[in-house]
Amino acid sequence: MNTSELNIPSTQSTPAIQGDWQTGILAMQGDSYPENSFELFDQVIQWVERYLNDEARPLKLELTLLYLNTSSIKAMMDIFDLLEDAHQQGRSVSVNWHYDNRNERVAELAEEFREDCTFDFSILAFEE
Amino acid sequence: MSRERELDQMIEKLLAEPEYQGHPLHAALERLHQQNIERLDRLERIARISDGYQSLAREQNLSLSERYQKQLRKLEKVARISDRYQQMMRDLNLALQEASNRDPLTSLANRRMLIERLKEEVGRAVRLKQPFVLAMVDVDHFKQVNDTWGHDIGDRMLEEIARVLQAEIRAYDLCGRWGGEEFLILLPDTHLSDVAPVIERVRCGLESLSVRVSTETLSVSASFGVAEHRPGESYSQTLNRADAALLDAKRAGRNRCVFASEPAEPELSPIRAAD
Repeated sequence: MNTSELNIPSTQSTPAIQGDWQTGILAMQGDSYPENSFELFDQVIQWVERYLNDEARPLKLELTLLYLNTSSIKAMMDIFDLLEDAHQQGRSVSVNWHYDNRNERVAELAEEFREDCTFDFSILAFEE
Repeated sequence: MSRERELDQMIEKLLAEPEYQGHPLHAALERLHQQNIERLDRLERIARISDGYQSLAREQNLSLSERYQKQLRKLEKVARISDRYQQMMRDLNLALQEASNRDPLTSLANRRMLIERLKEEVGRAVRLKQPFVLAMVDVDHFKQVNDTWGHDIGDRMLEEIARVLQAEIRAYDLCGRWGGEEFLILLPDTHLSDVAPVIERVRCGLESLSVRVSTETLSVSASFGVAEHRPGESYSQTLNRADAALLDAKRAGRNRCVFASEPAEPELSPIRAAD
């Protein structure tokens, strides 16, 4: 078992999360409203920190998140802060935020997240 | 030149004079002067260190306030995004609620919403002694439409029928799809004696409805069973009476309305028997 891989299955209140160390892709899908989002996102934040620290390769986030509660929003902003710092240091980091084209409001919320980010942050519609 | 510096120069000059060498005051003045210089030096060092501390504290204060401002901005952003997520969920909930109360084909109220409203109306009848009337509407020979023209045309007919029903009832009446080709009209705050014109308008509206299918023109008619809610009655009892009246309308040749008659002697419900 490779300890560098992150694989958290989804639950009713948490998204599925996969961190692929080899390809440098961190993906999340689903809703996020856990009671203790620190417990969940702490592992994700640690994975991102470790990857950025140990590897020089690019890091890419593929997000298909729908609903986020307040503490999950905070956690996502912390992750984007890490990415922003890495970007300022010349690292290649990027985010693709995918949303169902029937729910434009998810795109508007992704735009709010993108506001303070100077790295490559795309908001992409998909059709069901 | 400062007066201190003047004094220093004056003393240094005096101390340097050969003629004062060996004078008892010379040694004392020399030591006093030396001490003065050292004290001044120490004072300057203290001031320098103190200034250093002060500017350090000031810098710390600035970075703290900067960090505080940054955290505050972040917090405001979290709150803003969170508010928008909540608003989105609220709207989705409303849409879901709306969808769960509507018949997807005709967009009329569905059976669930009708039953909700029936319960409310019975509540009003109990509290405010406010009557209401139910009209059960059944499209005549609708099975033939489906059998002859297929379900797509049948569905189109139902949509047209729903449109006519919605157009002909009063603004505060509620019309819903009870199931299949059966519709229910709820007429609140109304007595049986007041509904004939409304029902007649709906019946005529349906009678004059024509739907073109390729070269053919399809028309429909409907039968109506109407009953007024009686004090102490449950909504299903009123519905049953409307249903029975509808059956009478069908038996009497369709395309007509039958009003459930007031029974000569109202049955005594347990509640009424008690008072």
